[in-house]
Amino acid sequence: MSEAADPVSPEGPGGTMDHLDEMTCLLYAERQLDRARAQAVSAHTQDCAACRTLLRALDRESRLLTRAMLEEDEPLPARLAEFQERARKSFGWIWGVVFGLAATGVYALYTTFIEPAQVRLEAAGFGGTSLLSLLVFQGAFWKGWQSVITLLEVLAMVTVAGFGLVIFRKRLRRGSALALVLASLCAALTLPFPAGATEFRKAQTAEVRQEETIKGDIYLSGERIRIEGTVDGDVYAAGKDIDIDGHVTGDVISGCQAMRVRGRVDGNVRAAGNNGIISGAVGRSVTWFGDSVTVDSTGKVGGTVSMFGGNLSVDGQISRDILFFGNGVSVNGTVLGGISERGESLFIASTGQVGGRIQFKGEHEANVASGAKLASPVEFTQREHKSEYTSGHYYIWRIIWTAAFILLGLVLFLLLPKFASEAVTAGERVGAPLGLGLLVLPGVLIAAILACITVVGIPLGLLTLGLWWLAINCAEIVVGTVVGNWIFGRTTDTWGLIGRMAAGLVIVRIVYTPIAPLHVIGKLVALGIWMWGMGAISLALYKRVQPKVSSSSMGVPVAAA
Amino acid sequence: MSVPGMSETTEAVARARAGDADAWGELYRDYAPAIFRFCRRALPTREDAEDATMDIFMKLRDKLSQYDETRSFSAWLYRVAANHCWDILRRRKIRQDKETEDVEDVPLEHPDPSQLDKLIEQKTSEEVRQALHKLGARARMALVLRYYSDMSYDEIADELGVRRAFVGVVLLRARHELRQALEGKSALAAGGTL
Repeated sequence: MSEAADPVSPEGPGGTMDHLDEMTCLLYAERQLDRARAQAVSAHTQDCAACRTLLRALDRESRLLTRAMLEEDEPLPARLAEFQERARKSFGWIWGVVFGLAATGVYALYTTFIEPAQVRLEAAGFGGTSLLSLLVFQGAFWKGWQSVITLLEVLAMVTVAGFGLVIFRKRLRRGSALALVLASLCAALTLPFPAGATEFRKAQTAEVRQEETIKGDIYLSGERIRIEGTVDGDVYAAGKDIDIDGHVTGDVISGCQAMRVRGRVDGNVRAAGNNGIISGAVGRSVTWFGDSVTVDSTGKVGGTVSMFGGNLSVDGQISRDILFFGNGVSVNGTVLGGISERGESLFIASTGQVGGRIQFKGEHEANVASGAKLASPVEFTQREHKSEYTSGHYYIWRIIWTAAFILLGLVLFLLLPKFASEAVTAGERVGAPLGLGLLVLPGVLIAAILACITVVGIPLGLLTLGLWWLAINCAEIVVGTVVGNWIFGRTTDTWGLIGRMAAGLVIVRIVYTPIAPLHVIGKLVALGIWMWGMGAISLALYKRVQPKVSSSSMGVPVAAA
Repeated sequence: MSVPGMSETTEAVARARAGDADAWGELYRDYAPAIFRFCRRALPTREDAEDATMDIFMKLRDKLSQYDETRSFSAWLYRVAANHCWDILRRRKIRQDKETEDVEDVPLEHPDPSQLDKLIEQKTSEEVRQALHKLGARARMALVLRYYSDMSYDEIADELGVRRAFVGVVLLRARHELRQALEGKSALAAGGTL
């Protein structure tokens, strides 16, 4: 009941009387007066035509207002119609946190590991490349390292940009966001990329003869490979023994048991193999994965020597640094730059000379002979055997990586929603994917390595290796989604699956974290998750490639004519 | 409170509360047009209304757990929408209407019913909508809450933060402002001589 205004008291029917004020009429029309006052107003309006008309006018005004407001005068704007999808997709702050953590993780990863590694790699002669060269795979497998780094940079930028878009989404209209993406893609694609190789030779003894000059890149494969002539380009070689006595103006990229460089390589030598002996000249850097490398007393390397595994012996000259992860380094010759080693031993003979800083992290202090000429004393760091599981750092990284995996899952689920759903469905059967995973996990890896050995199959092998690696990373995502489905109930909706993936992945990681330090058990559980997820992905792939049988051909009896 | 144009989807609400994304889609499809219209009437610009509609549905995700299922969903949703819109207007400090809760300010004269009738007769819904946007924020909001959302005086009082007894005054003043905007005659708005 309104106390706003007392209606002017009706003084009786007919005759001279005051009229009702508008406030009273309105409250009466809106049924807001108490019973007694409403009755008084009602009685008054029966005799007062003016008040009756006012009441009717107010009532009409109310109806006009309601009609004007309820009329559907404009359709739902397109932006809001699209928002229906976004409203379903919104996971609010959770995604903000995931994006934030992932961006932090990628940035931390980049600044902690990638950037310093990139500096070292650049020093080791790995030039720039572009996103496009990565996309087309360009053929040169070692050059892929740089591409991986570029990819990480791109991912870091995309993640940070994504995070920015989430934060500033209200200020960005769709057109400007699209323009931003297109401009970024164009910028990435316009970066320069190198040309590919042209010639292939495969034989028991594949060779470039002394009088021969090859213009452009060459692929060589065979038990024995000999280069006595000139190659005006890069050499890609795979074989048991490789001898380079001639002149290569580009890079030598190889997989071998033993390699001897007695001639001249103007570019880089990048190889995976047992033994490498450099008696000639390498204009730029040497990168070696394998047992041993010897730079002979006549040997000269114009750049850096980076070695992963085994022993490095320097009797000749290295113009820049040594970057070493492996067993031991022995310096009898000259290193004009510094040495950075993580290994078992470092020996510098009395004839040895090192022009830069020497950093050695290992078990025992470096053995430096009295006559050795060093620019500065060896900086030795005792290697600590501390369990990573006891440090808080480990758990922070676990959280960051979990966010990164969720982000990867989000991207994959959005890119391939149907396939993701099929993989998750396949994963729910547990037994079959585990069994298949047991075969696929090592099988694909072996096949990829075998393909890489036959030089011609390198692109295919690398592609397979890349897919295998991607599948390993996706395995945990699939398993996480299956667990999420078990806990929160099944769904076929993409965003429902994404939500379950995120929750399931977190649960799997929480459960796995205390298991991980239990050495064998931890590794077995990880292997089980990989097999399970990979098996599920393989099953989904298998179903995709299986030919579909049309319903008309399925056992429908054909009537005799 | 019944809300015209909005059907109750109790089942969808229950499923949405359980986290079913499809149910969210259904709710959005069913209620977004009405909520957009509500925002369009209550807020000054179309862009404001679009943004507010999106924000209301984002907010809904968090608030749905607070919804009492024994009551009307649409009424509850309108309360959420009204709160949001009124918050926006308050934040922008565009409450330029100078109303006070002084009852004495309310004109008590008897307006000329025939002139009011004539005015209502002449004006179209479109003109009323245009005139609505010329009103002060509180006046407009009061009319929208009452004649679009069909809220009770108690609910309006609660939304606008005024005493229940003052709601009638706010509404009457809003009608006067509207008449003034429609006709451009202060006399009509004053309620004295129509």
